[in-house]
Amino acid sequence: MSRRPRGDEQTGTPLLLVPPAAIGAALLVVPAIALVVRAPWSDLGPIYTQYRFWDALRISIVTSLEVTVISLVLGLPLAWVLARTRFIGKSLLRAAVTLPLVLPPVVGGIALFFALGQNGLVGRYLQQWFGWSIPFTQPGIVIAGTFVSMPFLVVTIEGGIRSADRGLEEAAATLGASRWRVFSRVTVPSILPSLAAGTVLCWARAIGEFGATSIFGGNIPGSTETMPVLVLQVFQVKGDPEAATALSLPLMAVAIVVLVALRDRWLRAAPSQ
Amino acid sequence: MSLHFDGSVSRGNFTLRAAFDVAPGDVLAVLGPNGSGKSTLLRACAGLLALESGTIALGGQVLDDPSAGVFVPPEQRGIGVVFQDHRLFPHLRVLDNVAFGPRSRGVARAQARAAARDWLDRLGVGDFADRHPRRLSGGQAQRVALARALASSPRALLMDEPLAALDVQTRADVQGELREHLAAYDGPVLLITHDPVEALILASRIAVLEDGVVVQQGTPAQISSRPATRYVARLVGVNLYRGSAASGAVDLDGGGRLSASDAPDGRVLVAIRPSAFTVHAERPHASSARIVWPGTLRSLAPLADRVRLTVDAAQPVLVDVTPSAVAELGLAPGADVWLTAKATDLMAYPDGDAHHGVAG
Repeated sequence: MSRRPRGDEQTGTPLLLVPPAAIGAALLVVPAIALVVRAPWSDLGPIYTQYRFWDALRISIVTSLEVTVISLVLGLPLAWVLARTRFIGKSLLRAAVTLPLVLPPVVGGIALFFALGQNGLVGRYLQQWFGWSIPFTQPGIVIAGTFVSMPFLVVTIEGGIRSADRGLEEAAATLGASRWRVFSRVTVPSILPSLAAGTVLCWARAIGEFGATSIFGGNIPGSTETMPVLVLQVFQVKGDPEAATALSLPLMAVAIVVLVALRDRWLRAAPSQ
Repeated sequence: MSLHFDGSVSRGNFTLRAAFDVAPGDVLAVLGPNGSGKSTLLRACAGLLALESGTIALGGQVLDDPSAGVFVPPEQRGIGVVFQDHRLFPHLRVLDNVAFGPRSRGVARAQARAAARDWLDRLGVGDFADRHPRRLSGGQAQRVALARALASSPRALLMDEPLAALDVQTRADVQGELREHLAAYDGPVLLITHDPVEALILASRIAVLEDGVVVQQGTPAQISSRPATRYVARLVGVNLYRGSAASGAVDLDGGGRLSASDAPDGRVLVAIRPSAFTVHAERPHASSARIVWPGTLRSLAPLADRVRLTVDAAQPVLVDVTPSAVAELGLAPGADVWLTAKATDLMAYPDGDAHHGVAG
């Protein structure tokens, strides 16, 4: 016997999909619940004052937002280039863009050292010419964060640009719009859903990033000690798993609030075809 | 400022080769079946596709000429396009869709919007200025698309199947209006269509495109009275036969004879309107008819106010009769009938393209 469909629901759910979906959901949800259940709720106040909590939270939020803005400014053009242009070595470039997704973040941090460290490929000139030293600074963790996070944005937006309606761009061109105007007034608005999705993914990756930032940025309190780095410090060095749990709660709360808000906003705003 | 096209474009195995000129104020309909190359032609004119060889020029300015290395991109051609699927920007309200062209040319926002409002009013869709395109009906979207194209002050206008996406009632409404708007526009208009009615109503000249080749070009009257291919004949709804004429007698290819005193000797085409035939149940006596063919009725199909018969005679024949004639003669599929047609109803003319196979 089949259930009466509700609203514009097209088809019923194939029953075979339900068990794996339930197991999958449980795998994701149960650890989060465990974290909430096991958190030392009564001691939160003292823990937050004891462990430089506010500095780390501020650094995490500020740097992750910086990473997101930089990724957008650089990643949107890069996504466009990958989606729309043809040039020799493009497949290599695409592989390079995807590399940070599969590279262990620690390796990413080491690679950044080789590139931007004081003896690095590029870093030595930054040092010589400008006196800049990137590692173990806040700009350093922003760069490391961008390295690991921007690929999410690029890959997502590239998909959006590929599936965007070229017909609209053609129409804009026949109306006399310059290429820049076609891009900014027609292409970008028409990929807003994937632009938003890519941006959120990028930010989410940035705020949770630990490996590359801790290698390349270190853990200087008040400067490069982000929330994930602090949590590991507290967990491993101080041997205080309860406090580590407590510290991770606000980060989780911020992330959930932002993700839920944005998903609702953008999924509904997505043009219903 | 006339639009000149003489060139070719290839896509895979398909090659489009066409030549035509559209004078200012003229509407040239390019009429052809799907896959005949109509859209390719439009895209080449708009600059969305580059010519392989030849020239496109507008008012003396060369827009595309591969041999001279000239290619003017679409945004600099000043050619307005009304696409079949309208292609209104979904994220902009109607007013800003129409203001998009002027804005792109550097007109200040307030002025562009005022001009857009003007065009929307002129096309009778001023009330929808603040709507988003997805909330427009097909007919409204079509008008907005035309307003948007015209608001960018195009030097020439291209329209891709402007009425095809509309339902029958809306089409009838828009058709009349569109005719007026095209008459008011003083640049050359190229109209792409597969609908002969659309072409006959809207165009001052028609070019028939088949398999990437222009098989016939002329005024609607020329095309409909003297179709050059069977495809064109079917489009305009006439019977067309090929044959050889000698002193007023025509032997048709595939069998059958008819007499046409004005037929020039040699290869000819003979066009006969379906309404020109008279149907008889018995062999007609002492007829002055130029065609007297026996045949078998294959099928009947009701048209608006007539019934269209398909008859297997010496040649396949389409015949239009009144419903009362069907009743009087007791016509039914399989019936044996006689067909006659008078001299005044025959149009015989030289077969301009004797090498061209009979299409369809």
